[in-house]
Amino acid sequence: MSTFSGISTALSSLIAQRQALEVSGQNIANANTVGYTRQRADLTSVEALSAPSLFSTGNGVGNGTRVSGLTRMGDPFLDARLRATTSSSSFQTAQASALSRLESTITEPADTGVSAALQRFWAGWQDVANSPDKTAARKVLLGDAQALVSQVSGGYRAVETQWSQMRTEAETLVTKVNTAAEAIADLNEQIRSITVTGGSANELIDQRSVLVTELSGLVGASARERADGTLDVMVAGNALVRGVNAQQIRVDGATTMAGGIGEPPKPAADPVRLAWENSTAPLTLEGGEIASHIANLAPGGVLSGAVDTWNALAAKIAGKVNDIHQPAPPAGTPFFALAGGTPNALGLSVAITDPADIRAGDPANGGHDGSVADAISQLGTDPDGPDSLWRDFAVGLGVQTQAATQRATVLEAARSTAENLQLSQASVDLDEESVNMLAYQRAYEGAARVLTAIDEMLDQLINRTGVVGR
Amino acid sequence: MINRVTQQTVQRSTLANVQLNLSKMADLQGRMSGGKVITRPSDDPAGTAQAMSIRSAKRAAEQHARNAADGVAWLSTADSALTGAAAQLRRARDLTVQGANSGAQTPSSRAALATEIENIRDGLLDQANTTYLGRSVFAGTSDAAGAFTDGSAVPPYAWTGAPGATVERRTAPDTTIRADADGALAFGTGTDPLAPGGRSVFALLDQIAADLRSGAEVGPHLTEIDTRMEAMLGELAAVGSRYTQMTAAQSSIQGTVLDLTSQLSDVEDIDLAATIMELEMQEVAYKGALGATARVLQPTLMDFLR
Repeated sequence: MSTFSGISTALSSLIAQRQALEVSGQNIANANTVGYTRQRADLTSVEALSAPSLFSTGNGVGNGTRVSGLTRMGDPFLDARLRATTSSSSFQTAQASALSRLESTITEPADTGVSAALQRFWAGWQDVANSPDKTAARKVLLGDAQALVSQVSGGYRAVETQWSQMRTEAETLVTKVNTAAEAIADLNEQIRSITVTGGSANELIDQRSVLVTELSGLVGASARERADGTLDVMVAGNALVRGVNAQQIRVDGATTMAGGIGEPPKPAADPVRLAWENSTAPLTLEGGEIASHIANLAPGGVLSGAVDTWNALAAKIAGKVNDIHQPAPPAGTPFFALAGGTPNALGLSVAITDPADIRAGDPANGGHDGSVADAISQLGTDPDGPDSLWRDFAVGLGVQTQAATQRATVLEAARSTAENLQLSQASVDLDEESVNMLAYQRAYEGAARVLTAIDEMLDQLINRTGVVGR
Repeated sequence: MINRVTQQTVQRSTLANVQLNLSKMADLQGRMSGGKVITRPSDDPAGTAQAMSIRSAKRAAEQHARNAADGVAWLSTADSALTGAAAQLRRARDLTVQGANSGAQTPSSRAALATEIENIRDGLLDQANTTYLGRSVFAGTSDAAGAFTDGSAVPPYAWTGAPGATVERRTAPDTTIRADADGALAFGTGTDPLAPGGRSVFALLDQIAADLRSGAEVGPHLTEIDTRMEAMLGELAAVGSRYTQMTAAQSSIQGTVLDLTSQLSDVEDIDLAATIMELEMQEVAYKGALGATARVLQPTLMDFLR
């Protein structure tokens, strides 16, 4: 045991306390950094030298302290929980917002919606039935019919616009996924090289963790840590990132709604789908925003359901009115025409341009008979008519949107709880850091005092000893 | 698991709470200023279904009200025409009675009576051809120029309407009320006295005028005039009863429209008092959240260490 070993013990403490204080400083500096996980300096006491030798003079006292490592105070289970909830919450939120946007295009219940246009149209027929001799009433009817037709095609176009925007959004999100995957692979490489040299890659791990959570929200990714410090990101059972290699995904399928859900003039659907860039393995997502987009874009999805309704509505309006207006072709002219080779909602048009061609009544019952117009005006209350078809759709969409919004709220609450738990484990508490700072500062002062004491002792021995009688 | 609480978790949860409060405030504000509880189907799908049905019923009722108003105008036109025609026919009967008093009449006074009766015939023909907005009210759905042809036409005094082709006005989804009057029934048709309904009132007056001029006895025609008068009054009664029916329908439709409007308002509109109360309460909650935030976020241990 060296005379001076006490000095080195005090020195070890001075160094260790200073390092620990620096860690507190880093924590405080990053108190508001997104994704930062607090760190702690692990102080370990240095054991006494106990070399087995004959003349060993060790007294069994240890040799001070050292910082044995910097612990990242994250909890991988809480991280995994946050990712799982983020995946389902993002999916449901995207569903709810798609439905809510679709809902806003139908403008019901209001005086501007399709049902108002239909009611005006039926009332127009009633006016024609009242005064078949008045060209004014007939012209008003033709105007109302034209308004109805453009409302139907406008509704169809609105769905088409939403489809195209969603398609573009899916493309952008997939680019985001690929960028994030690349970044994770890069970070994996850096983390691995720092880890093998014994360094601390905590800040890089934080960055990587944020990226993985982002991927969970986009494609429902989950993560698996490996022994060498790298992280594999799994998507739908396959690795998006494996070690330092990142896979790419892409969006396949039609870029127009007609192609995507098989509307005329395209005969068969070329559905929008995801694919691996370098593999033929199927890619069916289990969660995340992109999964919702792909589901909504697909035939049978939310948007294709709306398109079907617009088409059915157009066909029903044309069919029901023409059946009465033109009982047996070629006698009389049809009121509405449905062009082939295009979706019904876009192909619907008013076939009559001359108000005199409107068949208000049966000429056999007198020139001013309005019975046909009256019969057509009664279609508004037909339980199998366009009004009830439209009402069912609007109400159904409302129910669907409400349910989706409620589910999204519930899942968002679950995600928020998970995030809160994760943050409560990982985030920096300034009070705690203040206390730590105080503790390290006091320990540092104590170590300095020990150093002073030893110095004074040695001073006593060196300068004041053996001077008797001098 | 007892959560560790840090500045960041406090920040987040207070921010989330304040935002929740603020979004509720914005929601209430939107409701207050829009005046509607249902602005989109998902606000209340069941209410939406109701609102849409009520709206379409209301639009239909408004149309029925228009139909009924039109019907009332038709029927009142027919009613006043028939009332006028009946008065004229009564005058013709008086003249016929004078003419039948053959002992007191000179050929010239008989000719004067004949002329007046011919004028009455023309007046009746005018009444029979009364139109409303360009449509003959006695000709049903016919699109001919008048309800009756005049005496010089071939055939003379023919009714241009078709039997059974009536003008109907829809006053309820499954109710129609006849808006025209039957000209053939009211005035008779043709010139043949042996036809099933007798000859037309015009042909009859022509005959009387001719008989007066030729000196023939006109007394026997009085029975025929009475028959015609009876038919005319019968049609007038029918028109009157339909008029009552139509106005009753009109007022019932007005009631229906009012009912539907208030039902729609019940479903769609906000309860102003309740919404204002809610807004007040929400404001208190919001201020509370803000106050709590200010107290929780400010202090740290550092304020007390030196």
